[in-house]
Amino acid sequence: MAEAEKKPIKLPRTAKGKKPIYFDPTTDKLLSMVLTLMGELSVVRDRLDTVERLAEKKGVFKVDDIETYDIPEDVNKIRMERRSAYIARVLKCVQDELDQLQQQGDGMNVDLPQ
Amino acid sequence: MIPQVMHPMFAKPVHDEAARQGFVNDFRVHLASQIFPGNIQGYFKRVLPAFVKENKREPKDRHEVRRVMTKDPYYQLWSAMQRSSQEMIWDSVIDSVERQLPDLIAKAAALKGKGSLTIDPKLEIPRYNTAADIHLQPGAYHGEAGQNDLSAGAIYDRGTFIYSMGALGEHNDGLGRILHGFFRKQWPDRKIERVLDMGCTIGGSVSYWSQKEPNVEFHAVDLGAACLRYGHARAKAVGANVHFSQQNAEKTNFPDASFDLVTSHILLHETSRPAIHNIMKECHRLLKPGGLMLHLDLPQAAGQSPLEGFLWEWEVYNNNEHFYGQLRELDVAEVCAKAGFDKATFKIHQVSSTWDDGQTPYSDENFTFPVYTAEK
Repeated sequence: MAEAEKKPIKLPRTAKGKKPIYFDPTTDKLLSMVLTLMGELSVVRDRLDTVERLAEKKGVFKVDDIETYDIPEDVNKIRMERRSAYIARVLKCVQDELDQLQQQGDGMNVDLPQ
Repeated sequence: MIPQVMHPMFAKPVHDEAARQGFVNDFRVHLASQIFPGNIQGYFKRVLPAFVKENKREPKDRHEVRRVMTKDPYYQLWSAMQRSSQEMIWDSVIDSVERQLPDLIAKAAALKGKGSLTIDPKLEIPRYNTAADIHLQPGAYHGEAGQNDLSAGAIYDRGTFIYSMGALGEHNDGLGRILHGFFRKQWPDRKIERVLDMGCTIGGSVSYWSQKEPNVEFHAVDLGAACLRYGHARAKAVGANVHFSQQNAEKTNFPDASFDLVTSHILLHETSRPAIHNIMKECHRLLKPGGLMLHLDLPQAAGQSPLEGFLWEWEVYNNNEHFYGQLRELDVAEVCAKAGFDKATFKIHQVSSTWDDGQTPYSDENFTFPVYTAEK
């Protein structure tokens, strides 16, 4: 077959048939998202592992250099800030609830339709 | 995950595709080995005592267990994750097949080998296959995405390997190994010249039979053109000699008394009740006098405890395996008798999942498949 004839073909991605409801439709979707993210994190970790192993094989650095990496203070500070922001971002939905509890009695949102 | 042997037709994944497939496999292994047993614990420690307290008796059957277990939060979470993992299988496999599809089609056309392929574009796909995509494979086993498409087969080859968590072995042909091993143990000297495999999908099982019995003429039918195209190419790639044709096993175009042996590997539970009757009648018509049929399928409900019965039927309600439910209670002996088989020749064998070379890819080495046999 000539290259010109090798056109991309789109395949179906959704199975036909009624999907059961386990908790409620939204929670079910959230669970699917969490599991997909779990998978994607695993994919990234595998890819990083490949990078580390190739780097060692090609003599760039040894995997053990990562394990024994002595973190300089300025790098440590940057990482702490990044970690803190990361945690806050992931836990934002919990923080939102806390914020709203604290806002009760402050007169906020009381005029909004229920 | 255990490695799958990559024959020339295999849609080889690139790094992240392989990592994604590996994750889904390992996630399912974790669900099966670490999370699933909690359902049994939860039943005996929480759900059953509550049922007994309320009803002053234990659940009488799997249907009563279903009513209470599907409300149990632990079961709900396991079940939802199991469903998600099933969807993730296909999602992880379709990427690599879609990316390489034009190349795979070209490769199939160029492959040299034995056997043949006959496609019938006019074949009507029965409603028991079109109503829902079996096993949640998007596009179903009979779907076609274009001319000469073989994607459903390529997706099936990798998807079922991940689905079974490697239980079908590195060549993904374990069911063929189990049934052929049983056949030759039970009938070591039986002469066979022509064999038909019904509902062959990608012909993994029949190709194994052909490799073991190189002097036998093998035919294989299925509804799905894309699976058959892939199956024919795969058979050529592994050195098998099989004549594939797109036909409904309920009514084929082979003459009466064409075969010494008719087989199926987990076909019956994907077909409707009327279809099973038709398939058995067709088996009777196609067999030569003295011919034998062997149908390997999934366990029936008889002999299972109410909890076991309920757990076995997860696939029925959550994985588009609607017709497995009716097979679980079907009197197969009666169906075969109505189809013309002498009841005295009918037998249900419980066949070990251990291969004839002693390998047991199934995690539970005591697991058995029912094999329905009858002679004309």
